[in-house]
This record gives sequence, C-alpha cells and structure tokens, in this order.
Amino acid sequence: MRPFSLQFLVDVFPILLPFLSATLAVVVGTIFFGSIAGGLLAWAKEGSYQLFQRLAQAYTYIIRCTPPIVLLFIVFYGLPKFCLEVLDTNINDYDKLFFVIISFTLLFAAPVSEVMRSAYEAIDHGQYEAAVSIGLSPWQAFFHIVLPQATVVALPNFGNSVISLMKDGSLAYTIGFIDLIGKGQLIVSMNYGAYAMETYLALALIYLMLTIGMEKLFLWIEQRFSRHKQAA
Amino acid sequence: MLKVKNIYKKYKQEEVLKGVDITVEKGDVVVVLGPSGSGKTTLLRCMNFLERADQGEMEFDTISIDMHKVSSKEIGKIRQKTAFVFQNYNLFQNKTALENVTTGLIVGRGIVKTKAVEIGMKALEKVGLADRASFYPSQLSGGQQQRVGIARAIAVEPDVILFDEPTSALDPELVGEVLAVIKQLAKEGKTMVIVTHEMKFAADVATNVVFMADGKIVEEGPPKEIFLRPKEERTKTFLRRILPQEEYNI
Amino acid sequence: MEINYKFLIDTFYIVLAAVPTTLKLTIIPLLAAAPFAFTIALIRLQKGKSLWKVPVSAYVTFVRGTPIVLQILMIYSLLPSLLNALMKAWSFDINVFDWDPIFYAYIVFTLNIIALLSEVLRSAFGSVEKGQLEAAECAGLTKVQAYVHILLPQAMVVAMPNLCNLTVNLIKGTSLAFLMTVKDMTAVAKVSASYGYNYIEAYLDVFVGYIIICSIAQVLFHFAEAHMGRYRLSKQK
Repeated sequence: MRPFSLQFLVDVFPILLPFLSATLAVVVGTIFFGSIAGGLLAWAKEGSYQLFQRLAQAYTYIIRCTPPIVLLFIVFYGLPKFCLEVLDTNINDYDKLFFVIISFTLLFAAPVSEVMRSAYEAIDHGQYEAAVSIGLSPWQAFFHIVLPQATVVALPNFGNSVISLMKDGSLAYTIGFIDLIGKGQLIVSMNYGAYAMETYLALALIYLMLTIGMEKLFLWIEQRFSRHKQAA
Repeated sequence: MLKVKNIYKKYKQEEVLKGVDITVEKGDVVVVLGPSGSGKTTLLRCMNFLERADQGEMEFDTISIDMHKVSSKEIGKIRQKTAFVFQNYNLFQNKTALENVTTGLIVGRGIVKTKAVEIGMKALEKVGLADRASFYPSQLSGGQQQRVGIARAIAVEPDVILFDEPTSALDPELVGEVLAVIKQLAKEGKTMVIVTHEMKFAADVATNVVFMADGKIVEEGPPKEIFLRPKEERTKTFLRRILPQEEYNI
Repeated sequence: MEINYKFLIDTFYIVLAAVPTTLKLTIIPLLAAAPFAFTIALIRLQKGKSLWKVPVSAYVTFVRGTPIVLQILMIYSLLPSLLNALMKAWSFDINVFDWDPIFYAYIVFTLNIIALLSEVLRSAFGSVEKGQLEAAECAGLTKVQAYVHILLPQAMVVAMPNLCNLTVNLIKGTSLAFLMTVKDMTAVAKVSASYGYNYIEAYLDVFVGYIIICSIAQVLFHFAEAHMGRYRLSKQK
C-alpha cells in the first residue's frame, strides 16, 4: 500500500478551494428560498385554515422521511420531464445549480418551518397583546415586536439546520454538479483512484472548518441579538 | 364617554360573562372587584378586544360598535383611544424601557422619533424611572417593569386606561410603588378602569366601584356605599372574607 | 405527465425486496455502535481531565462536522486496500475485494452512529438529576450498577425523541450505501431505472418506500416512548 502523501494533501487545497464558491452558492441560495418557503409553511401551520395546516404538516412529515438524494434525483430527472410535458418548456439545459437549489429548498423548508413555528410559539402571546393594546396594527405588532424576538429564539436551531443543509448539499455532486466534492471526485478519477485518501481528507478538513465556522458565526449573531437577555 | 352593554362571553361550555353593562364617564376611576373567576379580567379584555365577546355593544364617544361583529378597522380605532396595563407587565422584552414607551408612538401613531422620545421621557419621569430609560426589562424589578408598563400606557394619551390586576404579580414590598403611581394618575383626573384585589387602594381611588360575581354585576356605586353599606348578600360575604386581612393595612 | 404505471408497480416490488437490506443497514450499525457510544458518552461526561477526552471529542467533532457522503468515500477508498495490505502482511490468503460490500457499509454507518449516538446519550445522561446517582450510591449500588439500573432507564426515556431522529436520519442515510455498490432500495431502483430511463418512476417508488419505513420506525419509537415513560405519565396527573 502506498504511503500517505502529505505533500499531495497540501497541494490539493488550492485546487479545491475555488469550488468553495459553488458549495456556498447552494447553501446561500437554499437558505434564501428555503426560508421563504419555510416561512410560508410555518404561517400555514400557525394559521386558522385547517386545510393549509394539514397540508403543511403532511409536507413536513413527508420531507422528514425522504432521503436528500432521492429528492435530488426526483427533481433532477422529474422536473425537466414535467416542464416539457406539462408546461411545454424545455429546462433540460438549465444549470445544474438550478436543480440543486430547488431540491434543497424543498428539503430545507420543512425543518426550517418547524424551527420558525416553535420560535413563534415560544414568544408569549402577551407581547402581541401589549403591542396592539397601545395602537399597533396586528402586522406592526408582528413585525416590530414578535418577529425580532422569535428570530433570536430561532437562531440556534436555524444554525443547526443550515449546518445540516451544508452537509446534505455535498450530495449535489451525484447529479454532476461541480462543487467542492464534485471537484474532489474529478481529481480522484483523474488520478485513477490514487491519492483518494489525501483528497477526501482535504475535503473533510474544509468541511470541518465550514461547519465549525458556521457554528461560531451563529453563536456570535445570537449573542449580538440577545443583548436584552442579559440580567441586571 | 365609554359605554358597554350586555356583554356575553363563553369559553367552550363555561359562560364567563352573562350580560354585563358598564359605563365610564370622563374622569371616572371605576374599580372592578370580585372573587377570582367572576369574569373581571375577561370583561376588561373584551373592552380592548383582546378577547372577542360573543355579544355586546360598545359606545365610545360617537362610535358605536357591535362587539361581536366588530371589524379590525373598528378595533384599531378603539385601541387608539385606549391603553392596557397587564397583570404580568408584558413589556417588550427586546426593547429598552424608553423604547417600550415610544414604540406605540413611533410605529402605531407615526410620531417622529425625537418627539416620541421627548414624550416617552416625560412618561418615564412621571413614573419615576427616567434614570432607567436605557434598561431592558430583564434588568428591572417587577415593580419597575409595571411602572414602565404604566408609562407605556399613558404615553399614547389614551382616553381610558384599562388596568388588569396591575399589582397581583408583584412581591408584596413592590406593590406600594405601583399603586402610588396609579393614585397620582387618579389625582390628575385620568379616566381609568381598574381590576384589582387591593381593597384599601380601591376605597382610596375609586369614584365608582363595581362588584362582580359569576359573570354578572352584583352591585355598583360609590366606594363608601359598597364598602360600608353593601346591599347584596354576595357583596357582604365577599367583603367579610377579604377585609380582615386588609385591617393590617388600614 | 406520462408515467409508466406498469414499470412503477413492477419496480415497487423490486424496491420492496431490497427493504431487508435497508433494515440491516440500520439495525446492525445501531446495535454495534451502542456500547462504543455509551463509553464515549461516559468519558465525555466525566469531571476533570482525562487522557481520552481529547481524541474522543475530536472524533465526535469530525463525524458531526463532515458530510456522511465524505465519510463513505473516505472509508471506502481506504479500508479495502488497508485490509488487503494487512492480510498480505500477515500472509492470510484472503481476498478482501471478494467481500460483500455491505460489510464496509456496516463499518461506515457504525463509525458514524457511534459519534452521533454518543451525543444523544451524553445529553440524556446530563438531563437526569444528579441526586439520582447520589441516591443510588447511598443505597449501596456501585457506580456502574447505578448507571445501568437507575440512570440508564431514565436517560433512555429522555433520549427517545432524539433516538427516533437519529434512527430516521440513519434510515435516510443508508440511501447512500449504493456508493459502496450495496444493493439497497436506492441502488436497485437506480439499476432498474437505467434500462429504460424510467428514473422518475423508480425514484418515486424509493420515495414511497422510505416514507413507509420511516413511518414504521416512528410509530415503534412512539410506542416505546409511551411504554418507557410510564412512570412520568403517572406523575403528571
């Protein structure tokens, strides 16, 4: 067996790192669209329309039972066919990033809706009542009083969801999307499987830094936002 | 000025309010008394539409409203004229004392910030907390929080302030400071409706006492009448049970 | 949209036939990981410094901080050749490349679950009141006995929801076993699909298969939790 090559490990970093942007594009795009979708789901769950409530709950349940890779494949193979046959639009040539972000948005929305819902429920209803009692409209009460507090409550769990998303996002390479792992796989196959360990270890270290960095970032944001929680 | 007629309210099977009328004139301090579960708090919450009554009419100055079929626009109008002081203060946890007072002015009424801060500081001064303006609720004692709650209510210059058991969540030694603030407001002629268990205080500030039991008004009148010469048996029993404890305060 | 229903149904039976593989990939790593996870949890809960704490924490951090697909790729690229080299060094006449790839899948998922399960147990033990341990020791139990008879049963009740999540996530995670050429539900569907490019139908089958398995797992956990939490229910009344 060939000995481990530290030199290769060092050399492979600069080749991999440019593809960090593709990995982060998936994460950022999904956080954006997934939070909107998650917000709508949470709104449906908290709202008074029974039908919407049930649908949102069912959706969340189904997603909880769906492996990310299966959803990714269904979207990647199914969506173009659906668009072609039903909507008469050809999206076969769309960038793979498009399919990746759609898949992970569908996936991310479910846990995030739960994070948002429980954060919303954690805020005492009295906060809302106090706001409307001094003349704020229900919307103003929500946006000025309830939402900022719910955001702080949601941050740690939202951070965990983002970290899960970042890890799940690594599956994008299975449909041929070239992100960090995609590039790593290319490097491995260009070397006919040699230096696989070095390449994967480099990727693992990059991901470790990403997840730990993300954890620290959310901790920092949380501390910044929760000034009002410090005791006298 | 404010008249509420024939309010009914049911939670699930339990009837909490069974046809209550209440009239508040300008400058009145109406104190609502009664055993717990008599519907006092529900009455107050219905008057500010924090609960929706099943039936009832409200007349506020020139506006008259069906309290069950009220529109959100009408609710907004009434809330611009009233303010509410909560039992557990409900200060906005994410805002400083001053911001708690000014939010209703800036967001709810569109007053410019500098003007709002000026009004807010005056309100805080009135409750003796100007020096705590930049404190968050978590940094204030219960009594201080409730005083900020009162400042928040008076800052919007409401026609009527509704107090829902403002001292019952407080430690005994902090009750006095809050009652003193409310007494001061009474002296200034503010119109108030107060639900409370503090009998001595009620006797001091009330222009009119309403005694409720089982979702109905049993008896009402000037405090002297109610406390010294109650007519109804229900009122007598209630006062007998409550007053011995109060002797220490008198 | 045109769906090949015959294919959809035929493939569903093929996918169902692979359910045992998915179940094996879930249950065996869970059982194999339990004693290790338990040990790691206890090491990390110990007060004071311990030599083992640093490597054990590093291991947990590594597993939690990297995607499972990367863990699969790493082990699957390293382990067979490593074992092969060992076999040769010890002059065993065994060809490790003939081994069923599911063996490697067990190892990958076990290594992964050890770390995740240890975290679940750690927080569960942390939540059991300290007085329980003290009381057990006062009653003459040894520390180990106290853990097994008093703390573990209580901690398990607390851990149930997290264990359920862990199991559901593991079931979903086994969908990646096809990367190691294991013929689980996802893999057989992929193969069937590739003949006639019926990917959508095949993956819809897999999709339904996972929903069924995960639902059953959640129902089982629900019953287990209700059963184990008896003593709590009576307290609430």
